[in-house]
Amino acid sequence: MHPDISSLVDTRNGTLDPRIFVDEEIYKLELKNVFARSWLFLAHDSQLAKPGEYITTFMGEDPVIVARQKDGSVAAFMNQCRHRGMRLCRADLGKTKNFSCTYHGWTYDLGGRLVNVPSEDDAYRNGIDKAEWGAIKVTQLATYKGFIFGNWDPTAPPLTEYLGDFTWYFDAFVDRCEGGLEVIGGSHKWVFPANWKFAAEQFCSDMYHVPISHASAALALAPDDMEADAEIFPLDGTLGRQFTSPWGHGTGFFTESGDVLGLIVGREPGEWFQGGNPEVVDRLGTHRALNMRGMHATIFPNFSFLPGINTMRVWHPKGPNEMEVWAWTVVDSSAPPEVRERLRIGNLRTFSAGGMLEQDDGENWSEIQQVLRGHVARQTPLNAQMGLGLDWDDDPNFPGRVNRVYCETAARGFYGRWAQMLSGASWDELAVTPPLESVRQS
Amino acid sequence: MTSQLEVPLAMAEMLLQHEIEKFVNLEALLIDDRRFEEWLDLFSDDVHYWMPTRTVRYEREIHREHSRPDEAAHFDENKRGLEERVARIRSGMAWAEDPPSRTRHLFTNVMVEAGGEPDEYQVRNNFLLYRGRLQREVDIFVGVREDVVRRSPEAEHGWLIARRTVTLDQSVLLAKNLSIFF
Repeated sequence: MHPDISSLVDTRNGTLDPRIFVDEEIYKLELKNVFARSWLFLAHDSQLAKPGEYITTFMGEDPVIVARQKDGSVAAFMNQCRHRGMRLCRADLGKTKNFSCTYHGWTYDLGGRLVNVPSEDDAYRNGIDKAEWGAIKVTQLATYKGFIFGNWDPTAPPLTEYLGDFTWYFDAFVDRCEGGLEVIGGSHKWVFPANWKFAAEQFCSDMYHVPISHASAALALAPDDMEADAEIFPLDGTLGRQFTSPWGHGTGFFTESGDVLGLIVGREPGEWFQGGNPEVVDRLGTHRALNMRGMHATIFPNFSFLPGINTMRVWHPKGPNEMEVWAWTVVDSSAPPEVRERLRIGNLRTFSAGGMLEQDDGENWSEIQQVLRGHVARQTPLNAQMGLGLDWDDDPNFPGRVNRVYCETAARGFYGRWAQMLSGASWDELAVTPPLESVRQS
Repeated sequence: MTSQLEVPLAMAEMLLQHEIEKFVNLEALLIDDRRFEEWLDLFSDDVHYWMPTRTVRYEREIHREHSRPDEAAHFDENKRGLEERVARIRSGMAWAEDPPSRTRHLFTNVMVEAGGEPDEYQVRNNFLLYRGRLQREVDIFVGVREDVVRRSPEAEHGWLIARRTVTLDQSVLLAKNLSIFF
């Protein structure tokens, strides 16, 4: 690892160099070595139900089009004309037969193939091979249980390998019923003046902030017959687990709690999600169906979700000092209409730009970003030591490397993998070099 | 030339317009002075307060620009939902509103039409909402509010807001949150 990079994240001592959140050079390297090599969430199948339907999104800062093909497959390619580089599609979503550049009219089909060049015989009488000038395809494209991911790196391992030991935890969110999840229509998009990693890390590894950051929302949202207390939301870290994957993914949850979902999004979704639905217990088993409550999670690098609350979001990087949040509400396809409606309302009241929990998260991240303008602040390491050295990997109920729910194991795993990728380590190296030292055997 | 019969009608319309504009201005005062409990009293118990999200679409699909009632929204509140938001702000722990935003609501283009019920009117007004926060944060929101207001003699100010649809003229919100009221 490049010495400058290896000193930015110290997983052994649990410290972070604040420059990882503000430095322009690190940001450029991050786009190249992290975002252009990682599996990035692009869209959910239900957002592209019919042939011709498309959405536009970003991979890092590169704009891409994701489109449903006539044969039902999905294609993803750069949202950029190969002639002069104009953005091919300027809408967020829609349905179309092709994408025609509004500059000179080069036209691409749903799969990104260049199919028409205006006045071809006259203007390009020197010849043009249209097959060579199609839109740049996303190198690897894969779908896991309805979730479409893309990766620019031909040497990256397959998506299933990348999800790795997180798959067991991901399934607790996406594989609860036969039809999987569906996205409720519409999206929340807003600009946030902070580095994307603050958000990705918090969803990966931070149950600790909830009682403080979200104290006001818990008070306001509690139904008349419910107290937002430690019975609902445990303050005892032994009553939950945090998990870290060597691939940088992480999650945390309570194994025992009161109706924490009922408090946040309403009793119907709470009962639906953790009430012991036989189909869910049958598919996931007892621990995943009943003992993963109030869960937070991030798939490295920037795709996060809260199972049960059922918000999911991408933290799009927009320079070191800004991100764009794109958030959706999802619901089990088998959920009854009242659960779907309560989740829709519950999410916009809690996890959206106007959401009562999200607002306070944002206040923290934007303030940190402002403080990090200072010279002294940039020289002062940040503390990520919670629960350091106390992980275990032989939990009877939860696979992989875990710790108590209040810890920063997953943050160290997230930043550790980020630093390894930033350094340009090859996938062969990454596969055999976990970001954290082995668990200390007691 | 206006006939003698039309004069009283025009006068009645002016009075109604005047009355409703006073009510609109009162609401701006109550929010900007952070008299949120009094502001809540302006809404009927059956109020629906809705701000759909907005996507970027091509002209041929522009009719799908706004999210539908069963889709995502910035606000989709009943009276209880509005009360919860005020309770949060008053908790002393709503960090995104403590220290509080400084808001100024500017309303214009107030247009009044008869509503679906005899004592209801459709009131449409454009707004510019300036928000300053902390030392130097600034957001500007522009859009239109489409209200149904109900003449309610028992209400303190003689009117209640029964429905509100707020349309913002942004797609990706350029503000870090919507912790204020429209």
